[in-house]
Amino acid sequence: MKTRTLALILALTLVLSLSLAGCGDSAPASQPAVAPADSGAEAAVAAASGASLVYWSMWEATEPQGVVLQEAINAFTAETGIPVDVQFKGRQGIRQGLQAALDAGTVIDIFDEGVDRVNMNWGSYLLDLEAYVKDSGYEATAIAPFMDACREAGGGTLKSIPYQGSIFAWFYNPDIFEKAGIAAVPTTWDEFLDCCAKIKAAGYIPITSDDAYFLSNFGYHVARYGGQEAVLDAVENGNWDTEPVRKAVEDFYELGKNGYFSPNLTSNVWPNGQNVEFALGDVAMYLNGSWLPNEIRGLAGDDYVWGCFSYPTVPGGVDDTSYANTSFQVFAINKSSQYPDEAFKLIEWLTKGEWDLKLSQGSLGVPADTTNTEWPAQMANVKPVLEGTANRYIWAAGAENNADITPVLLENVLNICSNKITPDEFISNMLAASK
Amino acid sequence: MHRNKQLIIKFLTPALIMFVLVFIYPLLRTLVMSFFQVENITSSAGTWHFTGIENYRRLLSTKLFHSALINLFKIWFFGGVVVMTLALLFAVILNSGIKGKNFYRNMIYMPYTISAVAMASMWLQYVYNTKYGLLTTMFSKLGMEKLAAIAWTDPTHKFWAMFIAYCFGMVGYHMVIFSSGIEKIPSEYYDASLIDGCGAIKKFCHITWPLLRGVLKTNLTMWSITSVGFFVWAQMFTSELAETSTITPVVYLYIQIFGAANAVTDRNAGLGAAIGVVTGVLVILTFLLINAAVKDDDFEL
Repeated sequence: MKTRTLALILALTLVLSLSLAGCGDSAPASQPAVAPADSGAEAAVAAASGASLVYWSMWEATEPQGVVLQEAINAFTAETGIPVDVQFKGRQGIRQGLQAALDAGTVIDIFDEGVDRVNMNWGSYLLDLEAYVKDSGYEATAIAPFMDACREAGGGTLKSIPYQGSIFAWFYNPDIFEKAGIAAVPTTWDEFLDCCAKIKAAGYIPITSDDAYFLSNFGYHVARYGGQEAVLDAVENGNWDTEPVRKAVEDFYELGKNGYFSPNLTSNVWPNGQNVEFALGDVAMYLNGSWLPNEIRGLAGDDYVWGCFSYPTVPGGVDDTSYANTSFQVFAINKSSQYPDEAFKLIEWLTKGEWDLKLSQGSLGVPADTTNTEWPAQMANVKPVLEGTANRYIWAAGAENNADITPVLLENVLNICSNKITPDEFISNMLAASK
Repeated sequence: MHRNKQLIIKFLTPALIMFVLVFIYPLLRTLVMSFFQVENITSSAGTWHFTGIENYRRLLSTKLFHSALINLFKIWFFGGVVVMTLALLFAVILNSGIKGKNFYRNMIYMPYTISAVAMASMWLQYVYNTKYGLLTTMFSKLGMEKLAAIAWTDPTHKFWAMFIAYCFGMVGYHMVIFSSGIEKIPSEYYDASLIDGCGAIKKFCHITWPLLRGVLKTNLTMWSITSVGFFVWAQMFTSELAETSTITPVVYLYIQIFGAANAVTDRNAGLGAAIGVVTGVLVILTFLLINAAVKDDDFEL
C-alpha cells in the first residue's frame, strides 16, 4: 500500500513537472561573445570602458535576417569596440523564454519581436526611448506611421524602434494574371470575383492559403463590411449573427461554390499552400504578409517579382483599401540595462544607413530608414500598397484575438469554403462555441 | 545504531532537498497558482490575483478544453488499444524464433528514435500530401479514386491522420518493453507446453499473456504518461494555430501560458496551472484504473 501511495505521488509530481517543463526556456545557453573583427584604437578604448551588450534575437541564425544582423553586429563591434553577445532564440524561444529570463535577472540589453507582443506582453520591462530619439534626431529618417504605431502600442510613449516593416495583402502571380487576361488588379469585390472567374477559365486555381494564415482572409473580409470592431465584437463578445459576419460568410460560401478555392485549402498545413501551390505556379493568389517573397524566393526564383494589391472593398462596406494589417518587428531596450546608450547606438546602427539597406536587401524587407529609398526589386509591387495604407488593422483584423475561439473559427471558416456547412450553420456553430 | 542513523541522514538529506526543490515545490506552487490569475509563469507571487476556483470553473465551461480532453481520451484509449496490440503482436512474433529478429526489431523500433518533428514532417509532406503524397499516389495507381481524393489533413480527417502517425512512432518503444518481458519468461515453460502439444495460441494465452501482466502494466502506465503530455505532434499537425481536431490539454496549457502564436492574446499562467492539476488528477485516476484492471500478483517468475 505504501509503495502504491509513493508511486501515486511520484506519478503526480512527474505529470505536473512535465506539464510545466514546456514552460521553461528551451533555448540554448549563452553563446560566446562576438569578438571584435578589428582591434583598432577606438575599439580598445571602448573595450576598456567595459561596455558590452547582450542581444536576444527573435531570428534564427541561418535565416536571411539572422545572417545580415550577425554581419552588422560584427561590423558594429569592429567599429566601436563594444562586444555584442547575440543569442538567436527564434520566435518560439523569445516567446517562451524572454520574460522568464528578464524576471530571473538575466543580463539582456536588447531584444526584438513584433510590435504588439513587445509592447503589450513585455511593456513593463522596456526603457522609454523618447529622449534618445529626440537627442539623436532619429525620427527625421524613420517611417512616421510605424513610429506612431510604436507610440500607440507603448501607451503614448516610444518604447520600441520599428524595423522589418510588413503589410498583409494579396500576392499574385503576374504570369497567371497575364495569361488570364487581367489587365489591372482588383480594387472592389466584383472586380475580384471577375479576376477569379478569368483565372479559373485560364486553367488555374484562383486562391489558396495555409492553416496558419487563413483566418486573416476572414478577418479582412468581415472588417471590410463592418470595420475591425465588427470582427472583435464577434470574436470577443460572441456576436456572430451580424450583417458583416453573415455577408462575409455568404461571400466565402460563394467563392467555394464557384470553385475559386484550391481543393487543398482545407488540408494545407503551412507551408504547403505557399510553397507547393503558390510558389510553384499552380495558384494565382495568396493573402499573406510581405515577408512572403523572401520565404519562397528559393522556390520561385530569386528575382521573381510577385504582384501585390490591397484587399478589395466590398459593396456597402465601411473600410476601404487604405485599411490593412501593417506590422513590423521592433527593437527594445531592457530598462535594467547597464548600457542603454550603447544599446541605442546598436539599434541605430542596425536600422539606419548601410546596414538597414543590407537588411532590407538580404531579407526582401521594407527599409526602416527613409533615406534608403531603393527597395529590393522583388518588392516593387509592395511599395505602392504599403504607401497607400493609412489605417492599421491588428493581426487578422482581430479574427484571432480570442484563443478559445480561434480553433473553432478556423474549422468553421474552412468548412464554409468547402461548402460542408451553410452560412446559417456557420452562425449557429459560432454562437454555440461562444456561449 | 545512533551513528548509522546519522550516516543515513547525512546521505539522504541532499537527495531529499533536491527532491523537495525539484518536485515538491513546483507541485505545490502549481497547485497554489491554479487558484490565482497570474500573468506570466515567472511573475512574482505579489502580483498574483486570487480568484478562487475561477480557473477551474472556466475550464469546465470552455468548449475548447472539452475538445482537448476528448482528443486526449481518444489518443489514450484508441491509441492504447492499437499500440499495445501491435507492440505485443510484434514482440511475440519476434520472440518466436524467426530469422533476422534483430533486424526486424531495429526496424520497428527505429521510428521511435527519430525526432517527432522530423517524423511529423515526413508524414505531412510525403504521406498525407494530397498532391504527391504516398497515399494519394498509391490509391490513384490502384484506381481507388475516392480514397485518393481524401484530404488527410482537413478538419474532418486530421485527428486520425495525426493518430496514425503518432501510433506508428510509438509501437516500437512498447514492443521493446514487451519483448524484454517475453525474454525473461523461462524457455522451460514453452518446452513443457510443446511436449503437452500446445499450439502457438495456447502458449500465448496460458504462458506468455499471464506472465506479461506486470510488463503490460508498465507499458500502460508509460503510455498514459506520454499521452497526457501529448504536444509536439499536435503542434506539428497544425503549424501556428491550434485546431479543434488536434488540440490537447497541454497545447491548451501552452496557449494560456505563452499566448497564441500570431495574435497577441491574454495569458494566464494560473489557468495553465489548473490544467496541469487537472491532467495530474487524470493520471492518478488512470493509474488507479490500471492497477485495478491489471492484476499481476497471482503469478511470479
